Amino acid sequence: MRMLLAVALLLALLPFGLPPYAMTLLTEALIMGLFAMSLDLMVGYARLISFGHAAAYGLGAYTCGNILLHTDIPLPFAVLLAGLFSGIVAIGVAWVCTQATGVSFSMLTLAFAQLLYAVAFKWTPVTGASDGLAGIPRSPGPFGVTWFATKSGFYYLTMACLIGGFLFARALVRSPFGAVLRGIRENEAKTLSLGYNTRLYKIAVVAASYMLGGLAGALYAPFAGFANTELLFWLLSGQVLIMVIVGGTGTLVGPILGAVFFLFVQQQLSTYTDSWALFFGVIFIGFVLFAPEGILGLARRWTRAH
Amino acid sequence: MDVSAFLVTQSLNALSQAALLFFLGCGLTLIFGIMRIVNFAHGAFFMLGAYVGWSAVGLTGSFWAALLFAPILVGGFGAAFEMGLLRRLYGRDGHAFLMVTFGLTLIMGEAIRLIWGVNALQVEIPKLLSGIVFILDEPFPIYRLFLAGAGIVVAIGIWQFLERTRLGLLIRATSQNAEMVHALGTDVRLVRSAVFGIGCGLAGIGGVLAAPMVTASLGMAPNAVIDTFVIVIIGGMGSFLGSMIGAVLVAFVQVFGSYFFPDFAMSFMYLIMATILVFRPGGLLGKEA
Amino acid sequence: MSLLELQGLTKRYGGIVAVNDVTMAVEEGEVRAVIGPNGAGKTSLFHLITGVVKPTVGEIHFGGHRVSAMPAFGRCQLGMSRTFQITALFPEMSARENTRLAAQARDPKRWLPLGGGGVFAEAARRGDAALERLGLTHVAERPAGLLSHGDQRLLEVAMALAQQPRLLLMDEPTQGLSVEETAQAVDVLAGLFAGGGLTVLLVEHDMEVVFRLATKMTVLHRGTVIADGDPDSVKADPVVQDAYLGGYA
Repeated sequence: MRMLLAVALLLALLPFGLPPYAMTLLTEALIMGLFAMSLDLMVGYARLISFGHAAAYGLGAYTCGNILLHTDIPLPFAVLLAGLFSGIVAIGVAWVCTQATGVSFSMLTLAFAQLLYAVAFKWTPVTGASDGLAGIPRSPGPFGVTWFATKSGFYYLTMACLIGGFLFARALVRSPFGAVLRGIRENEAKTLSLGYNTRLYKIAVVAASYMLGGLAGALYAPFAGFANTELLFWLLSGQVLIMVIVGGTGTLVGPILGAVFFLFVQQQLSTYTDSWALFFGVIFIGFVLFAPEGILGLARRWTRAH
Repeated sequence: MDVSAFLVTQSLNALSQAALLFFLGCGLTLIFGIMRIVNFAHGAFFMLGAYVGWSAVGLTGSFWAALLFAPILVGGFGAAFEMGLLRRLYGRDGHAFLMVTFGLTLIMGEAIRLIWGVNALQVEIPKLLSGIVFILDEPFPIYRLFLAGAGIVVAIGIWQFLERTRLGLLIRATSQNAEMVHALGTDVRLVRSAVFGIGCGLAGIGGVLAAPMVTASLGMAPNAVIDTFVIVIIGGMGSFLGSMIGAVLVAFVQVFGSYFFPDFAMSFMYLIMATILVFRPGGLLGKEA
Repeated sequence: MSLLELQGLTKRYGGIVAVNDVTMAVEEGEVRAVIGPNGAGKTSLFHLITGVVKPTVGEIHFGGHRVSAMPAFGRCQLGMSRTFQITALFPEMSARENTRLAAQARDPKRWLPLGGGGVFAEAARRGDAALERLGLTHVAERPAGLLSHGDQRLLEVAMALAQQPRLLLMDEPTQGLSVEETAQAVDVLAGLFAGGGLTVLLVEHDMEVVFRLATKMTVLHRGTVIADGDPDSVKADPVVQDAYLGGYA
């Protein structure tokens, strides 16, 4: 708890010492962190390896974009509503996907994300097709507060979502519900035989994961001012999975670090080379082969050794 | 246009499409059958086949030489990857393979961009196969006819290979019970490398054959890998016959779907897959759920 | 009414009849063993009772409920707890966490997504009591995957007991154990059953184990019940001797 407060304080103070471009990068990192953490709920706690988590992100982004473009709903509420919508859609998705297990589950989630991708290309009134939604405004907050529209105001909104999302996710994994998820992760057949309806638990955790992932996407739309089909593309699903694995699964904090690491390295590499994806592939394979426990696990191993 | 001519030409069209999908799907399913791993890089090997094919045509001036060399090179690269990296992962969770091959996809995509550039590369249709024929008075490209034929020939070839040859027998046996094959004194590791190479080589053939139709481009890999997964999941992971059925089904849905409902053609494929999985979680001919 | 009643239960796989018109009952308080040679249909019968497979024909009643078509987890919620032929545990969790998760399954608030301190405390209490009964308290904090084979077997029984089951179903409780481990496990189980209060249905092929533990026996042969009764009367039954026991009795 003290650690959490310290990190929150540090994050809250950062805007006072950082140049604007770094603030933009940091905001994006926090959004990605929230997105990666949401995937960890599935991957790290129930071993539901989703290859289509961009679906959650894109759903959130398009929903929030439409709310902001067409209604007067204040920005923070629009973001929350979009996250909630993503979570509700996830119930249907999960109902289908949990018919299968293992690698088939992964591929079904991928297929669903691609289905959304295909739909987004054609449903012009809602998604703007290949042009996407542009000019998404940061509408005023409740009571006409315009602070959220500023760079630092939006940063604090993002930070609040990340910390709120983290507290929610942590409470979830530490609850009786979370204990059942852990059972599913280690031995699903046994969990079922103890009398748990494991499929319902899996559907619930997918919904929670999509809700937080949708929240991240919902933040991205007003952050970037646009939403396009890239946000539903399989490449994003793969990237966020990399962040989770590289950061360390089943830790919630690890994937956030993974996302920050990913964006930072991408930023650094892209100033030297266009081929940052090449190095990313190498780094990722290296982690899977030699450090499957991720950055956080490496850090723990290192602290124990010293 | 008269209905029967329409049906015949569109069906042939779908069959040529099915042939390409089949080259991808049967490789993926063979690999899965033997190693229980999913090769996410399968689309990247397909793409590599197209690019290597382009270069081989440029160097030798012959499409047929390219069709021979490119798959060998792509298959060799696949086998080397299996021996160098994947081999370290046996015994790990199946998702480790998915992740490593995803990493490989990123690497190959970038490497291909660095070597061949970002522009799509056109491969000429060989003279023998260019032009059109008239089927029931409707014009139809000869090359597509050739593709459909090649698909059927290769399908029969692989089937005979699995049934008749010693390696084919070993492959079937290994997919049934790897430990037993190992205990009987065969180096299962070599069988695995061979299968991975063959599977990637098949994807390479698909890439060379696809290049004249769709050009070699960087977008090939993701599209191919997803279509491939769809057909393999529909047919049942690890089932050779299933991948054939899946390829034909998906190709017909794509071709006829995009004719009648151009806006929904892509969605159909996923809906069919989801429906099949709901009723048969292991796919049409799959064993496991 | 008996706790568990099977009426005319039949299971066919294609043309093969694994279980053929089985009618039997388990009374409250008895330890019943289902025995039979390999291929007699013991495992299929066990799967039918636990809900892993559904019967082709016939009915299963448990505690007055018709459960023939109920999924496995629903039957657990009515009070059936089972152990597996091949030990099934949560290997990375400690023994305590294993029994706690088992006990939690009986709590109406087992699914609470937030908080849940009360649920955990109650489940831990029941889980610890079960560990105690099986003499596993000294390994409670060790990861289940690192326990000896014998202890893993007992831990699985402890998990079932932590659920305070109305019926304990055991699939070959000594399968895969060495001779010494089997002897130890049988001692512990015999002590447990002697304490009373448990209703047990076990499937077992080791006759020595069966005669030490069971108070009632049902003999299966080619999917059909050929004898049912006290161990002594079953042992003496010429049909059973002919079909199965051979020179044992």
